[in-house]
Amino acid sequence: MKKYILIVAIFFTVGIAGCKKDFLSQEVNPNSPSVTTPQLTLAGALATAATIINGGINFDYAQYGVWMQYWTNSGNYVPNAALDAFQINNTSFTQPFIDLYQNITNFNNLETTSATVPADANFQAIAMIMKVYDFQQLVDQWGDVTYSQAFQPSTILFPAYDSAQSVYNDLVKQLDAAISLINKSPGATNPGISDIVFGGNMVGWKKFANSLKLRLAIRQSTVNKANSAATDLASTASEGYLDGSTDAEANPGYSNTAGKQSPFWGNYGVDANGNPTFPNVYYRGNIFFIKALNSYNDPRLTSVYYGTSASNGATIGGNAFGDPQGSPTVLSNPSTSGPGPGLLISPGQNAVLFSGAESLFLQAEALLDGYSVSGAATTPATAQAAYQAAITASFVALKAGTTVSYDPATGLPAAVSYPSAATSTALAVTYYSQNIANVGWAASASNEQKAIIYQKWIALVGYNCLEPYLEYERTGFPVLPNPVSKDPTAVSPTLPIRSYYPQEELTTNGAQLAKVGTINIFTTKIFWEQ
Amino acid sequence: MKKKLLILFCVSILLIQQAFAQNRTVTGTVTAKDDGQPIPGVTVKIKGTNTGVQTGTNGTFTISVPTGGVLVFSFVGYTTALVTVTGPVVNVIMEPASTALGEVVVTTSLGIKHTERDLGYATATVTPKELTATDVTNIANGLTAKVSGLAVYTLDNGVDPNVSVVLRGNRSLEGNNSALIVVDGVPIPGGTLSSIDPNDVADVTVLKGASSAALYGSEASNGAILISTKRGSTAGKPTIVYENSVQAERIAFYPKLQTQFGTYGGEGGAYVDPLTGFSRYVPYENQEYGPAYDGSMVQLGAPIGSATGPVDMVKYSPYPTSPIEAFFQTGITEQNDISYQEGDAKNSFYMSAQNVYRTTVVPNDKNVKYAFSVRGHRTYGIFSVDYSAAYTKTNISTYNDGTTNGIPGSFVSNAGANSLYSSILQLPAFYPIEKFKDPEGFYGNPNDFPDAYAINPYWVIDNSRRDIQRDVLLSQLKLRLEPTKWLDASYQVSDNFGINQERDTKAEVDFSPYAISDYFHAGNVPSGFPTGKSPGFVSDFYAYGDGNGEGAGSFYPGDPGYSRIEGDAILDFHHNFFNNNFKPSLIIGNSIRQQYLKEMVTSSNQLLVSGFYNINTIGGLINAAEDSYVINNIAYFGDLNLGWKDYLNFEATIRNEQDSRLSKAERSFYYPSAKLSFIPTDAIPGLKDNKILSYAKLYASVSRVGNIDIGPYEIYNTYGVTGGFPYGSLGGLSAGTENFSPTLKPELTSEVEFGAELQFFNSRLSVNATYYDQHVKNQTVPINTTVSTGYSTSLLNIGETESSGEEVQVTGQVLTQAQNKFGWALGANFSNNLSKVISLLPGGQPLSLGNNEYAVVGQPFPLLEGSDFVRDPQGQVVVDPVTGYPSQKQTLTIYGRTTPQYDLGANSTFSYKWISLAIYAEYRGGDVLDNGLGGTLTFTGAGLQTAQAGRQVFVYPNSVIQTGPNTYVKNTNVNVENGNYGFWQQSVWSSTMSPFVTSGAFWKLREVDLSFNLDKFIKGSKFMRGATFSLTGRNLFLWVPKTNYWGDPELSNASPTSNLRGVNNDGQTPETRVFGGSLKVTF
Repeated sequence: MKKYILIVAIFFTVGIAGCKKDFLSQEVNPNSPSVTTPQLTLAGALATAATIINGGINFDYAQYGVWMQYWTNSGNYVPNAALDAFQINNTSFTQPFIDLYQNITNFNNLETTSATVPADANFQAIAMIMKVYDFQQLVDQWGDVTYSQAFQPSTILFPAYDSAQSVYNDLVKQLDAAISLINKSPGATNPGISDIVFGGNMVGWKKFANSLKLRLAIRQSTVNKANSAATDLASTASEGYLDGSTDAEANPGYSNTAGKQSPFWGNYGVDANGNPTFPNVYYRGNIFFIKALNSYNDPRLTSVYYGTSASNGATIGGNAFGDPQGSPTVLSNPSTSGPGPGLLISPGQNAVLFSGAESLFLQAEALLDGYSVSGAATTPATAQAAYQAAITASFVALKAGTTVSYDPATGLPAAVSYPSAATSTALAVTYYSQNIANVGWAASASNEQKAIIYQKWIALVGYNCLEPYLEYERTGFPVLPNPVSKDPTAVSPTLPIRSYYPQEELTTNGAQLAKVGTINIFTTKIFWEQ
Repeated sequence: MKKKLLILFCVSILLIQQAFAQNRTVTGTVTAKDDGQPIPGVTVKIKGTNTGVQTGTNGTFTISVPTGGVLVFSFVGYTTALVTVTGPVVNVIMEPASTALGEVVVTTSLGIKHTERDLGYATATVTPKELTATDVTNIANGLTAKVSGLAVYTLDNGVDPNVSVVLRGNRSLEGNNSALIVVDGVPIPGGTLSSIDPNDVADVTVLKGASSAALYGSEASNGAILISTKRGSTAGKPTIVYENSVQAERIAFYPKLQTQFGTYGGEGGAYVDPLTGFSRYVPYENQEYGPAYDGSMVQLGAPIGSATGPVDMVKYSPYPTSPIEAFFQTGITEQNDISYQEGDAKNSFYMSAQNVYRTTVVPNDKNVKYAFSVRGHRTYGIFSVDYSAAYTKTNISTYNDGTTNGIPGSFVSNAGANSLYSSILQLPAFYPIEKFKDPEGFYGNPNDFPDAYAINPYWVIDNSRRDIQRDVLLSQLKLRLEPTKWLDASYQVSDNFGINQERDTKAEVDFSPYAISDYFHAGNVPSGFPTGKSPGFVSDFYAYGDGNGEGAGSFYPGDPGYSRIEGDAILDFHHNFFNNNFKPSLIIGNSIRQQYLKEMVTSSNQLLVSGFYNINTIGGLINAAEDSYVINNIAYFGDLNLGWKDYLNFEATIRNEQDSRLSKAERSFYYPSAKLSFIPTDAIPGLKDNKILSYAKLYASVSRVGNIDIGPYEIYNTYGVTGGFPYGSLGGLSAGTENFSPTLKPELTSEVEFGAELQFFNSRLSVNATYYDQHVKNQTVPINTTVSTGYSTSLLNIGETESSGEEVQVTGQVLTQAQNKFGWALGANFSNNLSKVISLLPGGQPLSLGNNEYAVVGQPFPLLEGSDFVRDPQGQVVVDPVTGYPSQKQTLTIYGRTTPQYDLGANSTFSYKWISLAIYAEYRGGDVLDNGLGGTLTFTGAGLQTAQAGRQVFVYPNSVIQTGPNTYVKNTNVNVENGNYGFWQQSVWSSTMSPFVTSGAFWKLREVDLSFNLDKFIKGSKFMRGATFSLTGRNLFLWVPKTNYWGDPELSNASPTSNLRGVNNDGQTPETRVFGGSLKVTF
């Protein structure tokens, strides 16, 4: 009998002894790490921020490119009612809201974890600056957003919305704090190559932060010239601003490999196999912008658009042509222009976060408004100097003077010849010396702000379609066609002035969102809109 | 380790091959008096000894016995017969016994055998004959319509069909609701069910509820299906069975299609008659909103080869067989099965081999399966060993239409990648499909396909392939000791694993400059490839797991098919007291298991050599990914059973489980169950020997079971590589989008069940009725959270659901063959399932489950919600007083639950002499169906629905016009503005869900089996002992409500592990009808 019990006992022992002590401890995920480093988070989050503004994860902001008359949609496709007729609902153009918050989550994590390690001060400061960069995009498109109660998933599942103005006010404070943190942490770890924007040059980050503060101030200036951001400009003016020699461009090492192309190229250019991407085929030259550049004798036209390949079988290579927005009678793609060689330079091109031209235009407007932005040697002394430096920076960036030769048989581009920076600079001087309103400074006398906005509209073509749209909503410039869309079913002759909150926000945070009130995208203003 | 295990198996098999003792023998056949059929499994013992055998499959036995000895024949449900041996042949006819009711032995959890009368919960058994009557290749299909409360969903009819088995409806909102599959006492990975040869099955027991399966723990909260496999006969004489079956399948139910109108797709301009405004024929369109067919000759597509090439003129009239129907062929399934078995009361051996060769309705598709198994049992004194090894190899070759797993199957057109079926549905009725077949022919060349926006479906099936190879091994070894009469000890180890290898390939296409130049300037497919090259593609997927699952990783979402190694130690104490009136037993045990899955994928679309598919020969970088998952689990359990006088039985179980998916603090949990059964017909003297009520049993049970709906590692947040990274040596990480928490707990299912089993008129009528009520708390649900919390979803334990219902199973022997020559049995099973969401996240919104299905507090789940038209209070559609078009309501409309509420299975068996006919039919209803297929057919204009009004203007049926704030008048004269493309395509009609929502109800004639027992014709044969010929059919007819234009409500655009049903699209090939015959010979 005992023998049997022994055997039985052995059965059980064998079974239980089969387990190692940690048999049940499987917390470590073998597939994804549960820890990160400041370097890894920084590089990833900066690259994502650059992708959002350069065509996006899902062509974010492409609609603003159409509305600002850079592009129109292809005649090869069924018209898009949201794009052309402004039949917009909670699912139209809402992707940036999600992309931006996901991006901020990573910067927020970086800020929180770096704050506990004094040596990581530079990472903390960059994270604070980039949160401002992302949050401004959110506020400018949606107004009130969740801010003070955001990013606390274990305690607050339904964060309240903060007023747009209060978020703006705090963003300025964050920028000041970031600049001060960099200044008082000279011995902190340098982010090095994980800083894919300035390569660890913290002076660049201070200029970026200062330029963002300038943008926050100028944005409010039309409705409130003495806004708190504007009055705070003087405190950091000596740090200087981005310009033609220092601008904010990201490049982690883009190359012509699937998934690793520069985001603008990858979105609007051709894929690694040489076939055009969907937006390249879909977003075609807009006749309004083409005519505007022609009327200003603007040599950037051949940079912005390629010539059409064919029209009714005849080869007219080299001529940019397009449709107006929402045209009911549209041309097929061979008869319209696609994105040009000054925008699509190479699959490895930098992704612009904040261009030198934009910063200089902001400085020009600040100087025009009498804001205290001087103090650094690099800051232009006058509004005119800043304006002309901005145009020059744009000419160089867009490679004004680019020539393209076309295959006479097919009408397709055969070779692109880019000018030197000096050539583009010389063309800029010729250009802004013209006695044409909105081009020459003197010719725009007493309408200088209009000229600045017009030129900013031209300078920001392609890369950053959001900013010209916001500036249009602030200033009313450029004057767009009326009605802006030729689509006969358009529900409004004018552009929407803001965005709807996404459907996801309605279903996940509806009670809080209800407190924001009813949104009408044609009448519910963001606080800085006049 | 695995190697050693295999060797062990081989050794065991050799041992069994020792000769069985031979002696002078008596042979005979045992048949039943009621139906005249032979009875297998009858115990034949020599009176006064323990020597005995059991009858084989044909009721035959062979036993060595001294002349003049007495043989005792006993079998549950029959009166024991005593026969004195007088000659070499003893044939016995056994009479059904009324006293033996409820004595049927049922295999329950852990392989424990109970008599049916002891069970305090609902079970059902399916015999091998019922299971394999129509030669199913998957066991699940053989269970369809045979058990109340058991729903088998065949989600598509492809070469590799997805099947899911659900008991008592859904109870978990987002977690697993599928029944646990247990083979010979050990759970197997759910995906491997299809690899088991149905002919190896000895019997199937269905444990419907959580209570009955409580001993299996968290895996069995959805009930369990227990499959016992054959272990060899005990008849002492070797038996060989060979069966061949051949079945053909055809598509049974096409969506209703129009054959009146040809191609036009809103081109406008020159394609519209300026006078009448009617559309003209467009030679390159894929939409069918053109002029009516008139038999004229029209140009099809662009000139062939060049702008000056030949023009193909075709007749503008429909073909008698639509190109859609012409594309599909007849599929053939041929099965060859052979099995060998022998053994006696102590030792047995079984061996089988199966080959299934299947082609389907889609040309080029093939599924070839080879299955081998060896099983047996051997006893050495108090020690016995039981073993089983089954190996299955499956090779599948099918088209890859790019709709699964995000793999680009077809080259991408303007409209995106199309599924194969969608490409077929874009073939207008006048298309000369014969010209499409030849790859060297007119339209075989992608450059010259006439339709500018679609691709040749024959190109897809020739050039875009998925080849799958699956190797599955299910193995078990059980050692058992019976040291005393009151104790059994056993240890069982099982190792079930498989390797799934898939290769997806797509051929490169080289477009000619002429094709790219886009003759019609239509924006055709080739113009999207100005380089002239649509690249080829190769993807290799390798998974070590259950051999079937498509993996759990982010790159291959689907059924996570884990391999599984398990060891179970069980001590079984049992002794009877007080003159056998008190029968207590106690089982205690321990179970340790490990589930493991590893998967890898590599892919590239930069092949260096066109048509050479190897990841070593590419340009650019390899896309590669790998994932692995482990689940470890330790459980201790106990089962106390107390029986009193065969009429009162109480059972209590408890199980403690510790699972590696949970954090240390939450890891250990208990679940108890208690069951009671009572037989009043035995307990109450007044009810004994009642002429009407022959048997009654009342039973009740309560249980609480945990269900871990948390994947491995889903308790801590992780970071993933940021898109595009790494760039050189620079890495980037981003936070995941789902928030996890170490405080997550298992879902808790509490179940109450009670029922009654009644038998009347000498058991010719039996009724088994059950009521159950289940509450599931702590639903583990990924709640969508505002992205401003930092995460798009948070996995939380929230909410409660209720699922309750009734199940009734009725069987009746109307006529018995023994008494009436003609036998007729009727059976029916019915289930009614009510589900309700009791609570969700406070302050939260309805939970989106995907596919427009939701969980809404107070409503059944999953619930279909979607867009609808603006309607008046009477529900009539409000149309615009000018355009006559309806408009869309801003809020969503609730349409109803998408899983059937009612399920009725009905069967009837007739037998006359040596012929028998079995028929199974099934009704399901109480649910709604969102026919996504209707959207595709409206887009193409091929659907009959779009031609209802002859493409003329019409008054929207039952519509009203709003004339004041709350006043509506019937619309009698406002026609829709445009009765063609304008209404069907451009108005909100086609983008609204309601036109495509129908009842999900259907009646299906599931199985018909006409079989001929040919035994009497081969009586003289020395080596042939039995033969049966059958004519079989499955899914022969389908009846659906008239409003359902589209197809089989059973098909669903959902993975088997998803809980969503009732939403179809063009990703499922249509329902097929199967018919054929089989011949079974026993030697």
